[in-house]
Order: sequence, then structure tokens, then C-alpha cells
Amino acid sequence: MTRAMSSRDTILSRIRTALSGEPPVERPPVPEVWPPGNPSVEEMADRFAEELQAVSGEIHRAATMEDARRRLAELLDELSCDLLGAIDRPICRDVLSEIPSDHLAWPEAGGTARTMCELAAGLVPADALLADTGSCLIACGTPQERLLCYLPPVCIVIARTDQLVEHLPAVWESIASRSADPNLRGEFVLVTGPSRTADIEKILILGVHGPKRLIVLLVG
Amino acid sequence: MSHDTIPLEGAQFLKAETVGLAEPKGFQALGESAERSAKHTAEIAASIPYWQEWRDAANRIKSFSIVNLDKLLVEFEQNVTARGATVLWAADAHEANQYILDLVKEHNVKTIVKSKSMVSEEMELNHALEAVGARPVETDLGEYLVQLARQRPTHIVTPALHLSAADVGHLFQDKLKEPFSAEHQHLTNVARKHLREDFITADMGISGCNFAAADTGTICVVENEGNAGLSTSAPPIHVVLMGVEKVIPGIQYLPVFLNLLGRSGTGQKLTTYTHLFHGPPPGRKMVVIILDNGRTNVLKDPAARMALFCIRCGACLNACPVYRRTGGWAYGWVYPGPIGAVLTPHLIGIDKAGKLPFASSLCGACGEACPVKIDIPHQLVHMRHRAVNEPSPMNSALERLTWAVWAWWFSGPKRYRLAMAMVKLGIRMSKFLPWHPGKLGAWTRGRELPRVPEGPPFRDWWRKNGTQVKPKTTTPPAANR
Repeated sequence: MTRAMSSRDTILSRIRTALSGEPPVERPPVPEVWPPGNPSVEEMADRFAEELQAVSGEIHRAATMEDARRRLAELLDELSCDLLGAIDRPICRDVLSEIPSDHLAWPEAGGTARTMCELAAGLVPADALLADTGSCLIACGTPQERLLCYLPPVCIVIARTDQLVEHLPAVWESIASRSADPNLRGEFVLVTGPSRTADIEKILILGVHGPKRLIVLLVG
Repeated sequence: MSHDTIPLEGAQFLKAETVGLAEPKGFQALGESAERSAKHTAEIAASIPYWQEWRDAANRIKSFSIVNLDKLLVEFEQNVTARGATVLWAADAHEANQYILDLVKEHNVKTIVKSKSMVSEEMELNHALEAVGARPVETDLGEYLVQLARQRPTHIVTPALHLSAADVGHLFQDKLKEPFSAEHQHLTNVARKHLREDFITADMGISGCNFAAADTGTICVVENEGNAGLSTSAPPIHVVLMGVEKVIPGIQYLPVFLNLLGRSGTGQKLTTYTHLFHGPPPGRKMVVIILDNGRTNVLKDPAARMALFCIRCGACLNACPVYRRTGGWAYGWVYPGPIGAVLTPHLIGIDKAGKLPFASSLCGACGEACPVKIDIPHQLVHMRHRAVNEPSPMNSALERLTWAVWAWWFSGPKRYRLAMAMVKLGIRMSKFLPWHPGKLGAWTRGRELPRVPEGPPFRDWWRKNGTQVKPKTTTPPAANR
């Protein structure tokens, strides 16, 4: 590691030399970005649906968990999904409680990307939904949870209406405080629509490497 | 990286394909597309009442970050190390490559999946990996196409902007043995199929870094395709390549940048995926390589420091009339467009790339487009000043003599009169001279000479009539009673 240490010192000393005598700059305040508009839950749900559809995402609404179970079963039928992978959280267990277990996979530590390629769809729970951009915040602790967001051709996100927030700044306080925990691992990912590319002649094509469809099941 | 890399040779701006600023063949689509993007971005910016406040805020945050760079980097290192990542510092591209080659050897890495990283282009990392028998695979669709074609990217956000769907179809036919198609969805599916296998079998994934938060050790990567998500979650090792300037003081400062970057880069409110990585998940390895590679040269020049604020959105490329004509390759190195014309001379040396800052009409469109408010036009002027005063291709005895003679000639009325007479004569004679002489040829080839105006020049007219012309007297407005 001697080489690494010496380059560290070299770079830091280059920076310090370059900046020597520089007057201190006051730490800027955190910008507000978007002012809070305090919309109602129903306003946010409508806004979220509109924005999600604008980025080619799909939304299914369910009034109750009971309703959600039925909607999901219908959806899996329609997708002819014979194997669904899901992140192991109470809300996923709940909504899948009536799905036969041979149609389900709960990728755990050690699950490989190759085996997960067999999954027809992935079910992931959202920690928050951003109404202004149609985005889903998903917290993934393990590589397998992360792969569930990117590998299957269909990504189904489940969330409750009380998880709706107005916009990015409104959810940031919670992201920042959770990120401050040194024991946190893995990633937070903000997903805004299915994967896309415009790299060939700037023509928008959905589903390049990640999911071709993003379906949000909104309960409440 | 392609084997036919463009030899720098002082990063000569005017190459065969751009001589005379004639429309370079095959780049028309690029120009039109960049123009559309620039228009779209400008419309979005105009529609957001807070846009200018965001730009000011982003600029202030970056100013603070750059002035506290040493402290923030150390803080970031501590926090990301506490989460289980390994931090390696690389003074130059060679050292950064060596770190990766060591990892390749140590972990017996065969296939490496890469999501887009401009830093890796600086390092010519793919070259280095191929030289030891490893197989780097670019997974961003545009980068993948450019890698298959063994070319360089023409744009930092849409690297294959110069290739048509038919070009891509032929490329896939030739390199992947796929039946020809020029249909976008089909071509995308072909790339998906081939790259899937690489994601699954790769032993290492490499990503760039859009922002690094010092206070939490968070690494932020934004993308649209899902390839960064897969590159960093499928293989057991994740290597992050970041320039020293990517660090920001705290994670609370991120939203303003995310709002600016998506809109300026691709016209999106947010990119499809915004990843916030917090160290390696259990059982995985994360290595963060912090690279200088000439960035501290920028820091040394207080007038130029602002260039380090760049968040690589590509808005200045799209806005630039010169870039739209020439495309990215003409800039000779990794970073094209106005920001490339500023950064490249710092990063690889004014002696090599001193011509680049002159590749601009100084129209100011880049400065207006920049979401972090880098004053690119003045940066260009500053670099021109340095290029003519320091050893560079723009600082030759001939250049100095030319401008000294010009200054002397045009500072006397008689000499000026003579010069104008010669210009008139030159234009009249030019039709008998079908050739394009030397450096002047670059100008004459792409243009028609102006016609000599009829009648005497204004100077002569004024001398005869000037004294008779009286300024028009206007009645002063009636005093307010």
C-alpha cells in the first residue's frame, strides 16, 4: 500500500498548495429547490399517476390490501408470470399470501444473477413515492434485492398511499438521515419509469437492459 | 477504447474532415439532434421559475467544495471506508489503470462490465485491460456501439450520436453476426440479449461517479438504461472511478444537482435511475479510485477553477454552434465541446491542446446553457490568453510576428487605407486564383468571398460631405409643469 499512501499524499499536497492563501468560503445554505405545496394525498396520488404514465410507467390502484391481492393475481395472470421474485418485506409477503408458493421466489443471499434471469417479474416494495416526478424510492440491502429491480423484464412496485410525498426535497430529509447511519449498506435507488435509451438516433426505446415495464400497485 | 485513437499532435482542431468548416459528412444528424436538445433544454429552463436560483445555488455549493477539496476528500474517504469500501488514490491515469490491473490479477477477472465513465475514457482503461487479456464490455448502449465500431464517443451523454440505425444494423451484422435490421426496437433487443450474458458472467463491474457526498460517503450515479444498476449489482466486485472534483460537502446538497442534471442532460425531470450507493453489500467488494490526472492543474489557476464545477451534462455541447458542425472527434480527446476546449488544455497540457480554446465563436451560448453556471466563454478567453503566452501551438514566432505586423499596419490611417485598397484588389483578383493557399485555404474553401461594394468607400464620402451634415436638432421635451 506504500504506493497508494504516497499518491494520496501527493494529491492532497497538490490540492493544498494550489489552494494555499485562498480565503475561506462560507458553507452555503441547503437550497430549498421546490417549495412545499402541501397537497392532499388524493392530489398526490393523481399527480403521481399522471407523471408515472408520462414516463411510460403503469399504475394500478387498489382500495384495500384485499383488493391489492386480487389485482396482483390478475396482473400475474395477464403477464403469464409463472415465477415471481420478491424482496422479503412484510408488505410483499402480505400481498402475495394467496399466490401458490411454487410461483414465488424469495432470492436470498447467495442467489446468483443467472438463476434470477429465470424470473418473469420482480416485486419490490417502495419506501416512498414522489408525486411530482412519478418516482419510486426503493431501499435495497443486498445484491439480490438490487438485481430484482433491474434483472426481470417486468418490475412491479408495491406502495401505500401514505408513502406518497410531494417531490424529491420532501423525501430527502429521510434519505439523508438514513444515509447518516454508518451501518447502512447497499443502495437507495430512485426509479422513474422503465429502463430506456435514446442512444440510436435519439429515438426513445423502452427496456434496454433493465425492465421493459414498470407497474406500480398503489394501495389505499 | 479504440485502437485507432486520434493522435493528439497538439490536438489539432482543423483536421481533414473539418477543413474550411464545410459540413463534415455524416455529422448532419448529430448537429440537428444537438440543436433540438439545446432548444428543448432551454424551454425546460424557461418553464421553471427557480431555474436561475438553482444554478446560483449549485454554483455556490461547487465553489465551496472546490475551495475545501482536500478536507472534503479526506472526510469522504473516512466515511466510505467506514462502510467497508477500499479507497485508492491515483495521481495519474497510469496509476489508476495499474490498480485495476492488480485487482484483475488478484481476483482472476476475465470479463468486466462497465457503465459509462468519462474518467475511464481518460485512462484508456479498455486498452490497458485488453493488453492483459481481460475483456472489458461497455454496457451503455451508445458506448457499446462505439466500442464495437472501435471508435471514440462523439458526445458525452449520447456517445453514438453519429451512427444511424442502418450503421448500427451493419455493425451488429458484422461484429455480432446478427441479421441486418435498421429498426430501433429490434437493435435494442439485440444489444440487450448480448449484454445480458456479459452482465451475468462478469467478474467485475466498473461505474463512474456523478457525485460523492463527503458527510455520508454516499456515491451517486445517475443513468437511464439500468446498465449501471446491473454492472454494480451482478458482479462480485464494484470499482468506482471518480475524479477528485466530484465530492460535495453533504448529501443534503444533492437534490438541486439532480434536478439540474436530468433536465440539462436529457430533458428529464429525473433520470430513470438515481443510485445512491452506501458501501458494498454483504459478501461484496467495493473499490473507490480517486483520480487526479491533471485536475490539480486546473486548481492551480484561480481564474480557471470554475471549470472543475462541471457535472458532465453535455448541455454546452448541444448549445455550441461549433460542436454541432464538427462533432466530438474534432476536439481530439475525451471531452468535446466548449467545456472540452477549456478542460483538455489543463488536463493534457496547453503545449498539446492550446489550440482548442480558439475553436469557438465566443457566442456565449455555452455559458447560458451551463446548469452550474460555469462562465465558459470567459474561461475560453482566459485559456486563449494563456495559450499565446505559454509554450503552445498558438505561441509561435510566426503568430507573434503576424499580429505585431497587423497591429502596426492597422494603427495608421494611411496604412489602413492601403490595406483596404489591397483587400478590394484581392477580392477582384481572386476569381483568377482557383487555388486555396495554405492556411487561408481553410477559410476560402467553405465560403464565397463577399462582393466589392459599388461606389467609393465611406471614408471618401465623409471627407467630401461630412462637414455639410449637421446633427438633427430635436426640440427638447416640454418641461413638466
